[in-house]
Amino acid sequence: MSLLEIKNLTVEYVLRKSVVHAVNNISLNVDAGKTLGLVGETGAGKTTTALSIMGLLPHPPAKVQSGEILFEGQDLLKMKEHDLENIRGNKISMIFQDPMTALNPVLTVGEQIAETFHLHGNYSRAEAEKESLKMLEMVGIRPERSTEYPHQFSGGMKQRVVIAMALACKPQLLIADEPTTALDVTIQAQVLELMNDLKVTFNTAMLLITHDLGIVAETCDDVAIIYAGQLVEYGSIEQIFDNPLHPYTIGLFGSIPSLDEDVERLKPIPGLMPDPANLPVGCKFCTRCSRAVKQCEEAEPEYLEVEPGHFVRCNRIGGTDNG
Amino acid sequence: MVMFNTKKRRRKMEMAGVQFTKSNSRFGDIAARMLRNKLGMVGLIIIVVLLILVIFAPLFTKYPYFEQSFPDRFLYPNAEHILGTDNFGRDLWSRMLYGGRISLLVSLVALVMSNVVGIIIGAVSGYFGGAVDEIINRILDILMSIPSMLMAIAVAAALGAGPVKTSIAIAVTGMPYGARLVRSSVLALKGNEFIEAARATGSSNLRIIFKHVLPNTLAPIIVNATLNIGSNIMAISGLSFVGLGVQPPTPEWGSILSAGREFIRDFPPIVIFPALFIGLTIFAINILGDALRDALDPRLKD
Repeated sequence: MSLLEIKNLTVEYVLRKSVVHAVNNISLNVDAGKTLGLVGETGAGKTTTALSIMGLLPHPPAKVQSGEILFEGQDLLKMKEHDLENIRGNKISMIFQDPMTALNPVLTVGEQIAETFHLHGNYSRAEAEKESLKMLEMVGIRPERSTEYPHQFSGGMKQRVVIAMALACKPQLLIADEPTTALDVTIQAQVLELMNDLKVTFNTAMLLITHDLGIVAETCDDVAIIYAGQLVEYGSIEQIFDNPLHPYTIGLFGSIPSLDEDVERLKPIPGLMPDPANLPVGCKFCTRCSRAVKQCEEAEPEYLEVEPGHFVRCNRIGGTDNG
Repeated sequence: MVMFNTKKRRRKMEMAGVQFTKSNSRFGDIAARMLRNKLGMVGLIIIVVLLILVIFAPLFTKYPYFEQSFPDRFLYPNAEHILGTDNFGRDLWSRMLYGGRISLLVSLVALVMSNVVGIIIGAVSGYFGGAVDEIINRILDILMSIPSMLMAIAVAAALGAGPVKTSIAIAVTGMPYGARLVRSSVLALKGNEFIEAARATGSSNLRIIFKHVLPNTLAPIIVNATLNIGSNIMAISGLSFVGLGVQPPTPEWGSILSAGREFIRDFPPIVIFPALFIGLTIFAINILGDALRDALDPRLKD
């Protein structure tokens, strides 16, 4: 059994005039100690997926229409708020995108890390403080800085503090929502290395949400490509990187500048993602796909396993039509 | 790699004698920053002096505040009566000191009451939003639609006269404004990622409100509270004026002021001195409040 199993999750934002289909029938598995990369464009439903695991979707307007999120066999969606509070920060924790705003400006970083210890487990004040110093040290911040406030830290340091908070209780699952997007490239590498190290130390599974395939290549075991709230391709990192099959995945790789080849221009994917309040009937990607045929506009492609563990949702792959 | 480095670094630091304990307390920190603010200290000293004068009033004056002396009416400040006398020949200095007891006590008690209730109501309403917010806001609307003086009179009439009851009457009128203020700050704050992060670490709503939301809204709360002191003192005198606040001959700054206004042309000291005391109190509390706000905000440190 996987640590985290998302089965057919559908989340909608019900607005007054329209219904935004943010996540459509997504199924994911994260095994203990493994890292799954969730890759997609802005607005593809990555963060919505993450928030629904944490039970932090804003109600209203968000509504989970169907599906199950099993964590250690228990459905998080059916759990009471009080039980969820015990899981959050303890067994599942989350790193947010922007470290600049993810820390409370009026509490010292030491207090904020100690808070997590205080919430989960029977730590006295002094013990929680001591543990928080240990955590700071582990993420490479001098412990005597624990009495300083967030504004006295640089962006990269703040993200380290956020990571220290998230890993304080040695969670089984860490959800990292674009943890390096707000950081500059040199710090990105440090933070990723740190996260990888700690992941191994604590044997934490990770759901890494990103739009950066470079980060995926460095950290993930499996990759899920999400487009317009749907999984379009899913497989191990080797399968996705060596043999991308879905035109969207191929397009994503085509959009990365290559160091080896001398290319004048990048090949971006033309067009924009469809309005999630008004999704096409057939393949969600057909409007931007260079290989789309009439069938793509009419019927939604099936989600097929093309090789063991490698799933693709495309009409032009497998089946009869293999053009 | 990283772990290895930090371990090594720590060993080095321990060898160099760096202590890994938290040395300075939070409270000490705030107090130290308070002490560094000169203007704030002036405010604090004024308040302390006023409080000492008022609490130990009998030590600083030889005249009882109610003793009338017809020959000594309308005396300008002199050696016998340092602030002069009023229209009944009562010593103004002792009336100021005894009057401060009511003015300061009632306005501070009312301030604390209205803010405690207002903060809780405003925080709950802003944080939870939705139906709770709507209901609370409509009730506040109703309270605010009644002119505050009328409201205070109504409450005071229902409860009766006396310092505590007057405080309640004034607190009830001030509460909705405090609640609205806190609500709006909470609304602005609620969208911040650190609130969501706090939820993601498993904090309960109550804990988030008290640990993460309210400490961040202190600045406007303190500013509002310090401004309220003045209007509270005036509200007491208003109530006393219609006979619902403090009963004569008990002095009270606001009522001395309003009783003296008939003589403003012929004998100004009778209004100047109470106005001076009220003004001084408001000024001192304002600068003290500003200093407190700055000291409590870690972003303004150093």
